[in-house]
Amino acid sequence: MIQFNDVSKIYNGSVKAVDNVSFDVQDGEFVILVGPSGCGKTTLLRMVNQLEDITDGEIILNGKSLKELNKIEMRRKIGYVIQSNGLFPNMSIEKNVMIVPDLLGWDRKKRQDRFNHLMELIGLHPDEFRKRYPHELSGGQQQRIGVARALAADPPVMLMDEPFGALDPIIRNRLQEEFLQIQKEVNKTILFVSHDIDEAVKMGDKIALLRDGQIMQYDRPAEILNHPKNDFVSEFVGQDRVLKSTSLYSVKDLEQTVGLSPHDDSARIKTIKENTSLRIILSMLLNQEADHLVVEDSHGNKKGSLTLDHIEKFLQVEVREKNDGVSLQHE
Amino acid sequence: MNRNKLISLIVKIIFWVGLIVFFSWAFSNDMFLPIFEEPGAFFNLLGEHLILVLISGSLAILTSIPLGIFLTRPRFRKVEFFAVNIANLGQTIPSLAILALVMGFMGIGMEAALVALFAYSVLPILQNTIAGINSVDEDKKDAARGMGLTNTQILWRIELPNAAYSIIAGVRTALVMNIGTAALAYLIGGGGFGVWIFTGIQLFDNAYLISGAVPVSMLAIAVDYLFRGMQFVLVPKGLRLARQAVS
Repeated sequence: MIQFNDVSKIYNGSVKAVDNVSFDVQDGEFVILVGPSGCGKTTLLRMVNQLEDITDGEIILNGKSLKELNKIEMRRKIGYVIQSNGLFPNMSIEKNVMIVPDLLGWDRKKRQDRFNHLMELIGLHPDEFRKRYPHELSGGQQQRIGVARALAADPPVMLMDEPFGALDPIIRNRLQEEFLQIQKEVNKTILFVSHDIDEAVKMGDKIALLRDGQIMQYDRPAEILNHPKNDFVSEFVGQDRVLKSTSLYSVKDLEQTVGLSPHDDSARIKTIKENTSLRIILSMLLNQEADHLVVEDSHGNKKGSLTLDHIEKFLQVEVREKNDGVSLQHE
Repeated sequence: MNRNKLISLIVKIIFWVGLIVFFSWAFSNDMFLPIFEEPGAFFNLLGEHLILVLISGSLAILTSIPLGIFLTRPRFRKVEFFAVNIANLGQTIPSLAILALVMGFMGIGMEAALVALFAYSVLPILQNTIAGINSVDEDKKDAARGMGLTNTQILWRIELPNAAYSIIAGVRTALVMNIGTAALAYLIGGGGFGVWIFTGIQLFDNAYLISGAVPVSMLAIAVDYLFRGMQFVLVPKGLRLARQAVS
């Protein structure tokens, strides 16, 4: 667990990059730090592995204040991925990936096994890449290697500074999906910096939205989208925040909240799976692909059908009802 | 690309033809006679020349590479600016002037020549060491630090390997210049092939002139090739491949 207690970072005695920030990241949680450039998100991230000093307050890592920990040793227990991958051009891919295990004194056999395992995890063939060099790889491959390198010594905590920021949208999307799969397998505690709210919504268990070094809102993505705490948050997440939020729900959520209609085979229908995201459903309906969508569970049993009305009703329940709760709190 | 290759081929052919013409002319006119008539003196001069170059050169390497590393440490960044500027300024002083200056302090003899050659070789190596280390991407160092490499490990595993090409190029330049400048050591009583070259100049004797100048040139070319080879061995394979991929 990472705890931030009244953490501040002041440059040159006056510029406040991080201003009195407090929040907790639970074990196994994937937290995205998001905000406009200059909001202090990267500084905050770099304070965790002590690349930036803490001016005020403290960061507690698994019960111990950072100040008590040896810088070098603690960094080796934290995976670190940066935007421009930071692979070392003088080292082969295997050496790059295995640098921390090498520093930790793992023996050859153990390192080799670990390399093979990691490469399979990120979907690259170990023997094909072992002896190659970073410049021979595409941007997407380099970034995958960067992730593998951060995972090399199996650190409980990962810090990722816009790891997919420099990639083109198609590759970025693919790497995001892949990384979510990897996270399911490895279950790390992750702090992830992004300037892209879509990425944050897609990847994070929680989002910390920052402005001018302060946390504007720290919540689950659905809460941020549906119940922004202030104007800055609602502006940052965008006018289409309701549309964005549909990607957070699946048909199953809708079924539990508003239920489905009995299905009717006479109309134009299309069959969909229960775990499909509402965003895709909405798009299919708006695209007039069918009048009704018939929902199937994982065993192929038909559970009922839905139309645009269901989605509208669901969003009303999710957004409006809870909004009332929030506005009460404001008064 | 092909055009460039063609041009470089033509240049090479002209160079080799010129060389063959020169050597056939030199041999047919007995221009290398002093070497065959006085082999003792020749090897003596060769020995002096090599001693001048080896001692001053290796001392320069041993001081300027560590100095360059030292000056690029974050703590000494401010001094680095001065050092680079002094090095740049020093580079513009003609080699003959350095010899003259050193003679003013130390008088004549091999020691004075060694000091002058040393001073002359330090600068290019220092410059290239600093430039090479500074050219290492800040992101790479940041990644290394973030993963828990110590400063010493960053130096040996990241900075020096990535700066190797530039450092060796600096050593190569310095030594080639050193060999040429060592021919001037004669002027302050330092010995070396300068003895024959200047004798040749003073006596209008082409045979002495060429018997001194050609070995100096060949020595310089040999050292140049030697260090090209060293670049191949010492620069990490990944960087060599990356360099080829770019060019």
